[in-house]
Amino acid sequence: MKTSLTHHRTVARLYFWLSLGSVLLGLLLSLVMRFHLVYPATSVKLFHLLWPRQAQGGVMTPELYLSLLTLHGTVMVFFVLTLAPVNAFGNLMLPRQLGAEHMAFPRLNLLSFWVSLASFFLLLASVMTEDGGPLSGWTAYPPLSALGAITGPGEGLGQTLWFFSIAVFCIGALLSSINVIATVIDVRSPDMPLMKMPLAAWNWFLTAILSLLSFPVLLAAGLLILLDRLAGTSFFIPTGLLIADFKSTHTGGTPLLWQHLFWFFGHPEVYIAILPGMGIVSTVISAFSGRRIFGRRAMIFATMSIALLGLLVWGHHMFTSGLNPWSAITFSILTMAIGAPSAVKTFNWLATLWLARGNLRLTTPMLFALGFVSIFVTGGLSGLFLGQPNLDAYFHDTYFVVAHFHIIMGIAALFGIFAGTFYWFPLLFGKMLNETLGKVHFYLTFILAYATFLPMHFAGFAGNPRRYADFTSFEFLSPLMPLQKAITHSAFALAAVQLIFLFNLAWTLWRGAPAPENPWSLEPATASDPDNGETY
Amino acid sequence: MPSLTQSNIGGPPPIDPLLPPGGSGDGGGGSPNDGSTRAASMTAIAVVMCASVMTFGAFLSAMAIRRGLNNDWHKLPLPKILWYNTVALLLSSVLLDLARRKLRQNKRHLFNPLWTAGTVLGTLFLVGQFIAWDQLAGHGFYLAGNPSSAFFFVFTWAHAAHVVGALLAVYYVEFLGLKYELGTRGRTWVAASTLFWHFLDILWLGILALFVYWA
Ligand code: HEM
Ligand SMILES: [Cu+2]
Repeated sequence: MKTSLTHHRTVARLYFWLSLGSVLLGLLLSLVMRFHLVYPATSVKLFHLLWPRQAQGGVMTPELYLSLLTLHGTVMVFFVLTLAPVNAFGNLMLPRQLGAEHMAFPRLNLLSFWVSLASFFLLLASVMTEDGGPLSGWTAYPPLSALGAITGPGEGLGQTLWFFSIAVFCIGALLSSINVIATVIDVRSPDMPLMKMPLAAWNWFLTAILSLLSFPVLLAAGLLILLDRLAGTSFFIPTGLLIADFKSTHTGGTPLLWQHLFWFFGHPEVYIAILPGMGIVSTVISAFSGRRIFGRRAMIFATMSIALLGLLVWGHHMFTSGLNPWSAITFSILTMAIGAPSAVKTFNWLATLWLARGNLRLTTPMLFALGFVSIFVTGGLSGLFLGQPNLDAYFHDTYFVVAHFHIIMGIAALFGIFAGTFYWFPLLFGKMLNETLGKVHFYLTFILAYATFLPMHFAGFAGNPRRYADFTSFEFLSPLMPLQKAITHSAFALAAVQLIFLFNLAWTLWRGAPAPENPWSLEPATASDPDNGETY
Repeated sequence: MPSLTQSNIGGPPPIDPLLPPGGSGDGGGGSPNDGSTRAASMTAIAVVMCASVMTFGAFLSAMAIRRGLNNDWHKLPLPKILWYNTVALLLSSVLLDLARRKLRQNKRHLFNPLWTAGTVLGTLFLVGQFIAWDQLAGHGFYLAGNPSSAFFFVFTWAHAAHVVGALLAVYYVEFLGLKYELGTRGRTWVAASTLFWHFLDILWLGILALFVYWA
């Protein structure tokens, strides 16, 4: 085996480690945030050590909370959910699944990793400026994100670096989508017609197309907002803005423009996060039910229509921003329409499981795949609420939204990543993760993930706003404190359970025996399954 | 379909049957084993063009919204030099394409002069753009201020950034051509960079039309 850095498996590993580091960072941040939410006045020595200025005496300022929130969201969405599913697993498997030896452009592949890494360091730099990290969340809405230091600590250089980080990330994402698309179109074995391509490859392909269509728009928006910040233009800043006794001299822009451009990227982005997971789930379910996925063709067309509709629904993030009611209705109907292909996919997975009944093998990857299906349905249902303008008027910016996107985008996509990690670990590192530890890890994670994020819906029903650093100063939220405390405890337990996985990972890499030739010992019967015959 | 098995997975990648021969005695071929077949390179260029279209589409929709929003929009007087730049760009495109065709017709000796002329004109376009920006600034049109001039700078800078990228490829081909090293790989560079250069023409004509007729 050639061990050059440009080998697709090496690049896959690099992305794997970057995403793993990111998810751990994001997780630790979320614990600090959850702690602060329910014990805002408790002094913690560690906080003082970490942030001597913004947590003097160990009590965090609200601004510090917001900067951690921003870092958490950015790291999770970009460096975990965008990179791991397609760049780690796609790089590992795509050439194999297509009967090729490598990606179309091995050096470009490595380059896109370096670009993503540079973006990661820029992001880290953004929180290390003198007055802290940016406060405006992963969506970075103007006008506050466009005006510079007067809008708060970290909003000066920190926010500027944040935008640079995102711009660089866009370029890395584009480079990698070039590679995936060219690999599928031109490096695919001539013996493999498109419709015979494994479902996972289809999903990576469509994900790359979505990246290609959405990241350039984010890049354009990012460049425009950087000009607003650095060069005095007014694309996003309205006339006569008065902030903290400071009258802005910008005139004539509109913050709504950012929302359109951002969400034109932002909604496809959630499919960029989840589609590869769906492909992995299809692969794993077909492997461990010993049969082809029911309705393979329908699966492909459903994925295509999800991708297409995903490009047309960005307005559902803007129902409360002042949309024309007719366009709100249009966006709402299109959003609901995504339910149809999603139901097709779910039905086909369930049908496959049903047809296989007695032959199901509940290995760790299979458990995570089943968990994915469950979580996907749960998160999809709350999406049907949020997709209606009248309901969203109430739910917008409450914990209902936090519950929804953590379940559908966070947990579901992470389960896809876990399924891929366990299933393909022998190909990624030549060893086999421990199954017993894996199963214990799965069951505890599954229960605790629900325990953490399901109750957030109730907080949302009660009108608990999101992106608040402290609930204790609001009378109407005080009855929710026990619920919020329970969520925090569950979140700590959920994080603790991940140590099982980390131990499994470290132990396997350090001490594990080499994986056998056919680690999941599949029956020869499945060798003709287009989704699995070629993988092992 | 012969199903792929464990044993043939490690095999060589499919070789592009359309791969042109090295020809004309130039060395410096690339084996298909470096991954970048010609077809894949052309796909990559198409993908990049798609990404550019999306970026400029985003700028365009931003402009449409920003223009309709306020009455602070003042039409920008375009510097005359833009017309000379346009001619230089289009002509360079013609020359680069002629060079590519001659290479394909095995008239290798005509390639270097044609490509060099195209390269020079392409560079002149970029220089001309700098002069145009300078003239605008000289008349008090900067990035900040009149939104029409802000968008002019955004569009033309973004276009110029593309030109810089394309010029790097064009210079690289020039370099290979002068050293007589236009092998298989070099020819892929020729095809890909001319295609992208034509795309830059279209992009430029669109931007020019936008600011002549609408902004
Ligand atoms: C143990 C797991 C996690 C916990 C306890 C957690 C907790 C939190 C908390 C407390 C917030 C702040 C809510 C607010 O104040 O509005 C938040 C926001 C967020 N989280 Fe998580 N999170 C976890 C995992 C994830 C994952 C896996 C993702 C990946 C999608 C994710 C993505 C986000 C995003 C995008 C935001 C919004 C940031 C913003 O408003 O700009 N989180 N999370
Ligand atoms: Cu959305």
